[in-house]
Amino acid sequence: MTRSTLPDDSTMLIHAYLDGELDPANALEVERRMTADPALAAEYKRAEALQRLMRERLPREAAPDALRARVEALGGTKRPRIQPSRQPSWRALAASIAVTAMVAGGGAWIARGPQAQDTVRDAVVAGHVRALMASQPVDIISGDQHTVKPWFSGRIPAAPRVVDLAKQDFPLAGGRLDVVELKAVPTLVYRHRQHLISLTAVPAASAADTAPALRKADGYNILRWTEGETTYWAISDLGAGDLGRFVELFRSGAPEQ
Amino acid sequence: MVIVSMPAGRRVSTEADLPGDHLRIVSDQAPRQNENSDMARDDDDSARFAAAVLPHLDDAYTLARWITGNAADAEDVVQEASLRAFRSIGSFSGANARAWVLTIVRNTAYTWLRKNRPAALVTVEDLEAIENARTIPGDPGAETPETALIAETDAARLAAAIAALPSPFRETLVLRDLQGLDYREIAAVTGVPVGTVMSRLARGRSRLIATLGRTEA
Repeated sequence: MTRSTLPDDSTMLIHAYLDGELDPANALEVERRMTADPALAAEYKRAEALQRLMRERLPREAAPDALRARVEALGGTKRPRIQPSRQPSWRALAASIAVTAMVAGGGAWIARGPQAQDTVRDAVVAGHVRALMASQPVDIISGDQHTVKPWFSGRIPAAPRVVDLAKQDFPLAGGRLDVVELKAVPTLVYRHRQHLISLTAVPAASAADTAPALRKADGYNILRWTEGETTYWAISDLGAGDLGRFVELFRSGAPEQ
Repeated sequence: MVIVSMPAGRRVSTEADLPGDHLRIVSDQAPRQNENSDMARDDDDSARFAAAVLPHLDDAYTLARWITGNAADAEDVVQEASLRAFRSIGSFSGANARAWVLTIVRNTAYTWLRKNRPAALVTVEDLEAIENARTIPGDPGAETPETALIAETDAARLAAAIAALPSPFRETLVLRDLQGLDYREIAAVTGVPVGTVMSRLARGRSRLIATLGRTEA
């Protein structure tokens, strides 16, 4: 049944099989050939042993510190005029930020403070970081609040306030559910240039309204404020100025009903 | 040249499994780059460069070291490659930073070798002969060591055997088995069809197995 497109060189194929590069039909065919041919099966075992040897016995080398410092300086000090593409694709956007986020986020768990108050912040940071690591930082991709809001309504008791800020250069990218203190909470994701902003709405601990307060965690800027029964957490790698502008726009923006 | 002085305790890692020094360096750097929003555009380039290149610097250095065969050359190559990457960060699509970085490193390494170590390069004729050669285990006289013998090889001997491979096999094996790229990524980095990646891996591994199977001196 396997009308195999495989070349005749079985020896070559066992390597592709070892590397998990064959589709299921061809993988079965290779397994069949190995069962029929002990020499081929033995060669596979040797290739497998070699691969394990290379992975386990050859430790990865680290770039020397001096080299790393020179490369960092390259990005940190010189400022040539290179125009980034105006409209980065969504994939490009996510990928370019994901690495920094993953890396910065590693610190979030390592450097977690003892204060109980920080558990919400940590959960919010973790949600942002985890989302950036995923292939998509949102569960629902949409720039349309009429799509995003009903998506939330179907999943949690109260859909969050959604404000359209596309005209102010903060287009809505979508939404996702995060988990804060074992509760699912809505997070809206906005975009600004090549940066993402996660805006998480958490039930407020006390009813008192508070003005936005800036804090930093693991390289991210976080603005937190309380309105009514909801505490909002805006987190991004945007500068504090841009993030502040976003929060002011969101707070004064007309909510979409 | 044999690479034996590698730091202990490190291992081959996947992309999602970055060693701790990356964590520290990039997270220290992020706030500094994000604080000044007036310079956001330049910072975007710098931040994109940092995000794309710095996490893969160890991989870049490892590949350069295996291609050039020594540490000092590898440093020169990675430095030069980083400069190239920085200049072209504006045209980087954002997808698969590691493959992008490794492609630049590889191309820089061969340019560098052509200029500074022409004797180390495999010529096109050599390459054709290598590609067309029969896979070693197909030869009746080829060594077929026991699996257990392979598994007991020490790091220095393994490194020497890899270093002795012709560079097309060597780079393909390093990208696959040390750096964990898939065939499609390796094809992109080395600029050959996926089928060639497959045959180079098969032949490279067969050669290594044969070498390791030879009686130890």
